[in-house]
Amino acid sequence: MKSNVAVTDYGAPERASSKGKAQWPRVPKLAISLISCIALLSLWEGVTRFGLVEPLFLPAPSQILNRAMLMNDQGILLGHVVASTWRVTVGFLLASLVAIPLGIFLGFSPLSRAVFDPVLSFLRPLPSMSWIPLSLLWFGIGESQKYSIVFMGAFAPSLLYVMEATKGVDPLLIKAAQNLGAKSKDVMIEVILPASLPQILSGLKVMLGIAWTCVISAELVAAREGLGFMIMNGKEYFQTDTVVLGMVLISITVMATDLLFRFVEKRILPWKA
Amino acid sequence: MEGLNQIPVIQFTNVSKSYGPMLALNDVTLTVDEGEFVVIVGASGCGKSTMLNMIAGFDEPTKGRIQIQGKENTGVNPQCGMVFQQYALFPWMSVEDNIAFGLKMKGEGRAQRRARAQEYVDMVGLRGFEKSYPKALSGGMRQRVAIARVLANNPGVMLFDEPFAALDAMTRQVLQEQLVRIYEQQRKTILFITHSIDEALLLSSRIIVMSARPGRIVQDIPNDLPYPRNADVQLSDRFVELKRHIWDSVQAEVVRSIEIAA
Repeated sequence: MKSNVAVTDYGAPERASSKGKAQWPRVPKLAISLISCIALLSLWEGVTRFGLVEPLFLPAPSQILNRAMLMNDQGILLGHVVASTWRVTVGFLLASLVAIPLGIFLGFSPLSRAVFDPVLSFLRPLPSMSWIPLSLLWFGIGESQKYSIVFMGAFAPSLLYVMEATKGVDPLLIKAAQNLGAKSKDVMIEVILPASLPQILSGLKVMLGIAWTCVISAELVAAREGLGFMIMNGKEYFQTDTVVLGMVLISITVMATDLLFRFVEKRILPWKA
Repeated sequence: MEGLNQIPVIQFTNVSKSYGPMLALNDVTLTVDEGEFVVIVGASGCGKSTMLNMIAGFDEPTKGRIQIQGKENTGVNPQCGMVFQQYALFPWMSVEDNIAFGLKMKGEGRAQRRARAQEYVDMVGLRGFEKSYPKALSGGMRQRVAIARVLANNPGVMLFDEPFAALDAMTRQVLQEQLVRIYEQQRKTILFITHSIDEALLLSSRIIVMSARPGRIVQDIPNDLPYPRNADVQLSDRFVELKRHIWDSVQAEVVRSIEIAA
């Protein structure tokens, strides 16, 4: 519940400022979101408590909360969250670490772009799910298989985001840098990278969401731990509350990582403020 | 002539430039000596910017030869520092980092770069703005950063591509006087492009009038207005006399270009 408030907290002012129309004062807006949140949860609680909906189809929020506390007492709740978050982090960082330099290089050099284009065109339409059988074959059921699924899901789109971002760099800035003695390497590192970084980061923010989709689908298929596994496991035992709890945790964790990303973004781009 | 036994800083020999079927510059021969402040005036599309781009090595002549300090360009030549009309500052760098960029490219250390940058920050009167980002500066201040950035790189030639065209009249005058002062102190070789005859007369030691497309040199006039100069020079008789002379030839070219277009 707390995190729901947090979402409106960062989402709402941004929307208001982008419009520039008459704005709602900040606090009432927050209060409205809080009230709507409470109302929705009460309604949900009500319909299940009074038997309008079978708990097997949709467990009440209180039941989900109970399940959360139970799993926490068993010491397995946090483990699932951490496992998935770690897989996303590793796979996503690996994809970014390859995609950013490669994308800048490809954006800068039309020749290498021509070389890579067929491979990219082939990789781009493949959903990360389609890599699961091959990745199981190559990496087994362990952690590296999860990383590889996140990597394959995030890499090709990230690369395209980065290449697209480099196209948006003002050619005049490159001209100015060369005029001041910058060589090709300097132009890429000192000009194209920082100039396209805002676009790159907003692309990566989208990719972070995709990375989460990848890890959950990988865990749904083969895992012993993680939020995707938790959902699948709940299904096996007809524990709908575990299933919904898993979904809630995914949502909260993705929101939290998104917030963290925005925070980092602001720190990296002080000149944008 | 003192220029005879020294290598000219810029030498155009029968230079033509075409873009596809369009002839932009036609058979230009020009010698610029060390320490000259040459202002090129001419109507739009007379190939003025093309000349600067070829000097800087962004572009190559179709015919003829361009030598900078006796050598032909192979790629972009950092010896010819360019000040662009649109400033072209790096928005992610502070004022001092922008100014020190060329020094960084030369591999100078951080402390040394900072000290040099400070020198040029002071020269263009931006003390107190060292840590500001370009976004926080006015157009006039941005252009001063761009000028300082080129000066700090200590090029043999400075190229100005209509640098003050986007500024308001007051700011323009302040920057013109500042540039004259910098020239008086440093005696750098400067090539400066403008539409404004007043600006040409206020700044230059020599004025070149270009014809309408295809660009040719139609007038090469030494500007004998004495340095040190300030904006008051615009009120002198000699200024008015030179202005009338240049205006007549530019006007003839403008009329001709309208006739060509019609």
